[in-house]
Amino acid sequence: MRRLRSSPHRRTALNPVTKLAWAAAGTALALAWGGWVAAAIVVLAALAALRAGRLRRVAVAALALAPVAVSSLVINTLLPAGGGGLAGALAALLRLLGATLPPTVLFATTEVDDLLGELEARGLGRRATLVVGTALAAVPRTQARAAGVIEAQRARGLDTEGSWWRRLRGVQPLVAPLVIGSLAEVEERALALEARAFGAPGRRTLLRRLPDSRVQRAARWAIAAAAVIGLAVRAALAVAAR
Amino acid sequence: MIALEEAAYRYPGAAAWALGPISLELRPGEVVGVRGANESGKSTLCLVASGLAPAAVGGELRGRVEVDGRATSELRPHELARRCGLLFDNPAVQLTGLHRTVYDEVAFGPCNLGMPVPVVHARVRSALDVLAIGHLAERHPQRLSGGESQLVALAGLLALGPAYLALDEPTSRLDAERSALVADAIARVAETGVGVLVAEHDEALLARLCVRVVDL
Repeated sequence: MRRLRSSPHRRTALNPVTKLAWAAAGTALALAWGGWVAAAIVVLAALAALRAGRLRRVAVAALALAPVAVSSLVINTLLPAGGGGLAGALAALLRLLGATLPPTVLFATTEVDDLLGELEARGLGRRATLVVGTALAAVPRTQARAAGVIEAQRARGLDTEGSWWRRLRGVQPLVAPLVIGSLAEVEERALALEARAFGAPGRRTLLRRLPDSRVQRAARWAIAAAAVIGLAVRAALAVAAR
Repeated sequence: MIALEEAAYRYPGAAAWALGPISLELRPGEVVGVRGANESGKSTLCLVASGLAPAAVGGELRGRVEVDGRATSELRPHELARRCGLLFDNPAVQLTGLHRTVYDEVAFGPCNLGMPVPVVHARVRSALDVLAIGHLAERHPQRLSGGESQLVALAGLLALGPAYLALDEPTSRLDAERSALVADAIARVAETGVGVLVAEHDEALLARLCVRVVDL
């Protein structure tokens, strides 16, 4: 049987752990420093997305920040308590973009199972891997379940279209079955995992390892060191400024 | 052989017995049906026969349940999984949601057991071949039809190499066409020597597949 592997990571040839290191460092530094550091991280993230052919997808994801941007603008320019003005609002938005774009690029260019496999190969336990993977898969799974509940409620005459008030009223009959169904499913999922020997002792077999290199390993250490130094300097500056 | 001898079971914290007492034998290569009304204990029987109740579920088991001469109460869940696979009625629950191909999803069980990579590949190919779903290998598990999902879930169990399978209403969520696909697959699995216990409402399916049917 031929194994076809079409994966976004092939476009970047970077090991997922290298991308994770970069994303974590970028997020931490953007949050800590803001300003030009955040701007540099935004530019780097955009370039990485462009190189991987995922710029459009990342840009669409970044649009999710629009409500936050508007709120920041209102708070900083219109409310007396904000006081940062337009510059303050832009600075806050830049910091937010710098913090969110690296993980967005990471997940836009990396298959979750590749990332989890590489983390597991480096010692992450199978239960921790499952928890992370399940958390990442929870959003699409919940969306699918919600779609099913909506269809079922519509079939029973619930009006989920039309005015905002009607849509709002439609949320209540959606939430209870969604939450209860999800909770009930947890127990069955746990049993299903046991039925597939998830609790077996020892290390799991990893079917594949993705390319890594000495250069990437060195880069990960350098990224980690830069992040630690950057955060330490920022903390020292903050203490000195008091 | 899976043997239940006056087996009765109640769930943790429950006052009432959900099953039994019941005696039953399932031999390699035969398909035994279980029928009964809702809440009659079909799902519980599957859990007990596979050993997951009480090994993973907890609760109280009376009587004796053995798989190939070993009491299920003496075995841990992963040891039971290698002896008797349990298929739930909802394949969405059985599939992990962690893999992007059917191939990787089916390999999940053997990988959990730490089998060598060539063995894992051999088992996955064998499971896909038996169920005639090799063409799904590179498909995304979340983008399959209900019948295909159920077959992939079944392949995931077969890849563990169990001598027996307990199938809890495997066609209850499927239309007639897809039910027939699953029934064909069950027949093929039994032909390989796997003993299959099928809890079902579908009388026609039971009549077609089973050497005998137990009423609950």
